[in-house]
Amino acid sequence: MHEGITVVLKAEQLGSVFGFPITNSLIMAWVVMAILIGFAYFFGKSLSLVPGKLQAGIEWAFEGAITYMTEVLESEKLARKFFPLIASIFFFVGLMNVIEFFPGIGSIGLWHASEFLPLLRTPSTDLNFTLALAMIAFFTIEVTGIAMLGFFRYAGKYVNLHSPIGFVVGLIELVSNLGRLISFSFRLFGNIFAGEVMVLVAGYFLPYFLPAPLMGFEMFIGLVQALVFAMLTLFFIKLAIAAPEGAH
Amino acid sequence: MQQLLSAFGIDWHLLIAQAVNFAIVLVALTYFLYKPVLNVMQQRKEVVAKGVEDAKLAETKLATADSEAKVLVDTAETEAEGIVANAREVASAEKARLLKEAETRAAAVTRDAEAQAKEMAAQALRNSEQEVARLAILAAEKVMRAKA
Repeated sequence: MHEGITVVLKAEQLGSVFGFPITNSLIMAWVVMAILIGFAYFFGKSLSLVPGKLQAGIEWAFEGAITYMTEVLESEKLARKFFPLIASIFFFVGLMNVIEFFPGIGSIGLWHASEFLPLLRTPSTDLNFTLALAMIAFFTIEVTGIAMLGFFRYAGKYVNLHSPIGFVVGLIELVSNLGRLISFSFRLFGNIFAGEVMVLVAGYFLPYFLPAPLMGFEMFIGLVQALVFAMLTLFFIKLAIAAPEGAH
Repeated sequence: MQQLLSAFGIDWHLLIAQAVNFAIVLVALTYFLYKPVLNVMQQRKEVVAKGVEDAKLAETKLATADSEAKVLVDTAETEAEGIVANAREVASAEKARLLKEAETRAAAVTRDAEAQAKEMAAQALRNSEQEVARLAILAAEKVMRAKA
């Protein structure tokens, strides 16, 4: 048994199925999916024209989100098109960040060769998940840009041969665009992972008392990070569909 | 780079698995949650719009019904007034006719009575003249007989 704090940067592998690695963050992702999809299924069945409190609340949130997205994208059609993506990012990441500190997550596990392997680990503390989500956001943004502007106009944002300054600006754009992959994934991973480590450390400073309020704070941070991921995706979509400079 | 990837446990298997997980969430929530909720909201919007429109329609209908009723009452009033005036006129005409007729009839009766009285008087005069004459003759006869 270990003494002191063990911080594991990568998700622990619990086993493998046909050579496919099964990590604790993958299992946790399935748990979160089951909760979300189960809720959506039963809630979607109970919808009525005269809403209850829960339905009214959710409708209010959807309405607000679509109104905001319409303002940002300047088109209600586009807002409705991208609403599922943005909302799913928020719900999926938000839920996994909030239940991160629930009892049993990280504390229930297996002993494997004198090493403790937690059964569940929030996917946002696994770079595999955040990078996968960042890639999805990245491809959505680029594909949307190409679809809305056409390949050559979109490419013209990055490869600009009209002037030397334009060329350099285009290159910077291209690099910062690719950098989004890293900033997206590490921002979410770093925030949530650091929160977990902080709660762990706080448990050594003032056991039983300090971790609880910190957990509440970290849940809030988790929701904020989910919102940040969703909003940045929205803003980058907006940037991608904007006409290139000097094109009009 | 390889070191970095292994430090964070990056594995393309897991990357794909997590991407697929998110895709499943996206599709499932779209079909179970977003579409139904947005549909219900759209339906409610339509119902409310229809309700408002119906209310507007009812209001205009009520207004036109009010004015229609007013027009009806007005025409009925003027008509009634006309009928009453007409009746009054007819009645007064009838009254005048009746009076005139009564007057002429009374006058005729008086005239008849006068004529009759005159006739009777004349007759009486004639009768008495004859009687006087006969009496005079009789008296004359008596005188003559006494003389003879």
